[in-house]
Amino acid sequence: MIQAKNVYKTFYAPHAIHALVDVSADIAAGEVVVVIGPSGSGKSTFLRCLNRLEHATSGHIYIDGIDILDARTDINKVRAEVGMVFQSFNLFPHKSVLENVTLAQKVVRKRSGGASTEKAMALLKKVGISDKIDVFPDQLSGGQQQRVAIARALAMDPKVMLFDEPTSALDPEMIGEVLDVMKTLAREGMTMVCVTHEMGFAREVADRVIFMDAGAIVEAGTPEHFFTNPTHDRTKLFLSQIL
Amino acid sequence: MREGNDHRVTGRPLHYNRWVVVFCFGVLVFLGLFYYATQKIQYVWRWNRTPIYFAYQEEIHVTSTIDGEVSAITVEGDKARITVTGNGEEETYTTPKQDVRVSKGEFISPGDTLATYKKWKAGLLVIGLWITLKISVLATIIGVIIGILSGLMRISENPALRWSAVVYVELIRGSPLMVQILIWYFVLGTLINDLLIANGWGQIPALWYGVASLACFAGAYVSEIVRAGIQSIHRGQTEAARSLGMTYGQSMRHIILPQALRRILPPLAGQFISLVKDSSLLGIIAIRELTKAAREAVSASLQPFEIYILLGLLYLVLTFSLSMYVQYLERRMATS
Ligand SMILES: Nc1ncnc2c1ncn2[C@@H]1O[C@H](COP(=O)(O)OP(=O)(O)OP(=O)(O)O)[C@@H](O)[C@H]1O
Ligand SMILES: [Mg+2]
Repeated sequence: MIQAKNVYKTFYAPHAIHALVDVSADIAAGEVVVVIGPSGSGKSTFLRCLNRLEHATSGHIYIDGIDILDARTDINKVRAEVGMVFQSFNLFPHKSVLENVTLAQKVVRKRSGGASTEKAMALLKKVGISDKIDVFPDQLSGGQQQRVAIARALAMDPKVMLFDEPTSALDPEMIGEVLDVMKTLAREGMTMVCVTHEMGFAREVADRVIFMDAGAIVEAGTPEHFFTNPTHDRTKLFLSQIL
Repeated sequence: MREGNDHRVTGRPLHYNRWVVVFCFGVLVFLGLFYYATQKIQYVWRWNRTPIYFAYQEEIHVTSTIDGEVSAITVEGDKARITVTGNGEEETYTTPKQDVRVSKGEFISPGDTLATYKKWKAGLLVIGLWITLKISVLATIIGVIIGILSGLMRISENPALRWSAVVYVELIRGSPLMVQILIWYFVLGTLINDLLIANGWGQIPALWYGVASLACFAGAYVSEIVRAGIQSIHRGQTEAARSLGMTYGQSMRHIILPQALRRILPPLAGQFISLVKDSSLLGIIAIRELTKAAREAVSASLQPFEIYILLGLLYLVLTFSLSMYVQYLERRMATS
């Protein structure tokens, strides 16, 4: 589903920052991959390269076989197939909860008002917000906002979902409700790439864990491998710090 | 009841009211002194003569165009029809029946008055007000369009677009509006009109050069307001919109501009209130807007005090209603 081949990303801000260094990964359909690593290791950059919010400096990225770095690719078509959930939710504050979930369906997928509302209602029910469809995002708690954001991304019927620390901005008591939605998605067979510090989640649902440091993938493997006998010293150090 | 009833009712201390009285007194004293000074120079106030600059009744004479005899006068409702016949010609004039000056059988020559009637006409100040309003509305609409486009160009990544916007904004903001009006009319206007004439097309009236100068002037300021407004919207909003597959245009239209608009409405309103006031400069290119009209009224009436004071009040009414309207819009946006 996702193939990244020798991806480099260098920021010039104004000194060269090598955010991604020769990153390669192959993520199959239905696979749940958790990306972990210290702050500044390039996790977000990797995720954002996958839907070209950041344009990789070199290398190749294929989403469902489409080369997204090719100038001839219609990136908007690809992005509609790749849902993204942000740390800071980024709901549209001037739109109601329902409109947040219907807008892109109408504008991008060209669905009718009725069809997109129906879809939105079903998804909001699924994430447990069906009683608040007419309120504005600022009246919701963080956990509720994040669940609406997930519904908004799911409304496009994406083939892949990218999560960038979806629970890091949440109060501890709200983390569970968001993780539950993500676990449901994983069980339903969604292809997911999640940057998260929630090791419980990684252990429970990840098919594979990728550890990044200094812009490179240091180690990748199953959760058992990772949490019982990691090979690299840097992985061991990182795990000892967060567990 | 420590501070008396007033405090209980208004929630304000007594001395507050004292200062309100002082303020009103001050205003009265100022007006009184002003009036006293005008009396000192023996200025004769004639406020009763000012209404004609808003509206007046004009007497219209219906005159005969031919030689002959009034052959018939018929009255239909409130209209009178006067028929004149002579030398094999016949002509019929229709007029309101208020004041028919001829009777049947009377002989008349060309130019003789057959009837008169009174008609309400707009006075100079009303004509000027209308022109000022027209110019302001047109310049505002065009200014907003120019401003949004150049604001978007200003934040574009394409250097040709970005630099054009920068040059435009800097050029406009770096010179006085008066100079720009002169250039629009006497340089660009002459050029364009001469070219149009050379090609056999009609000229563009001065009003449009006035509108163009004001629109371009306001557009540059609007451009900066729009740019700041867009940049004040968190980058995450664009990213969320684009990550859903929206194009740049769609995300601007549905996500960024609606949010930016709420923030830029107050500075935008200030800009357009300035525009209404700045339109008073257009008199120099012979556009008869409110100020020019007032000056004409002054030279006709020799009542400068009354008319210029009225002029100031008229602008105040315009700008005040504009700012009330914007406040209403803001409130409506806040609730929606
Ligand atoms: N837009 C940008 N401009 C310049 N440098 C950037 C930009 N985005 C990221 N970087 C740099 O790239 C490196 C990797 O950043 P990235 O955000 O991917 O890290 P991360 O692993 O997600 O960290 P965190 O856990 O703090 O979110 C960092 O050094 C960061 O400063
Ligand atoms: Mg990050």
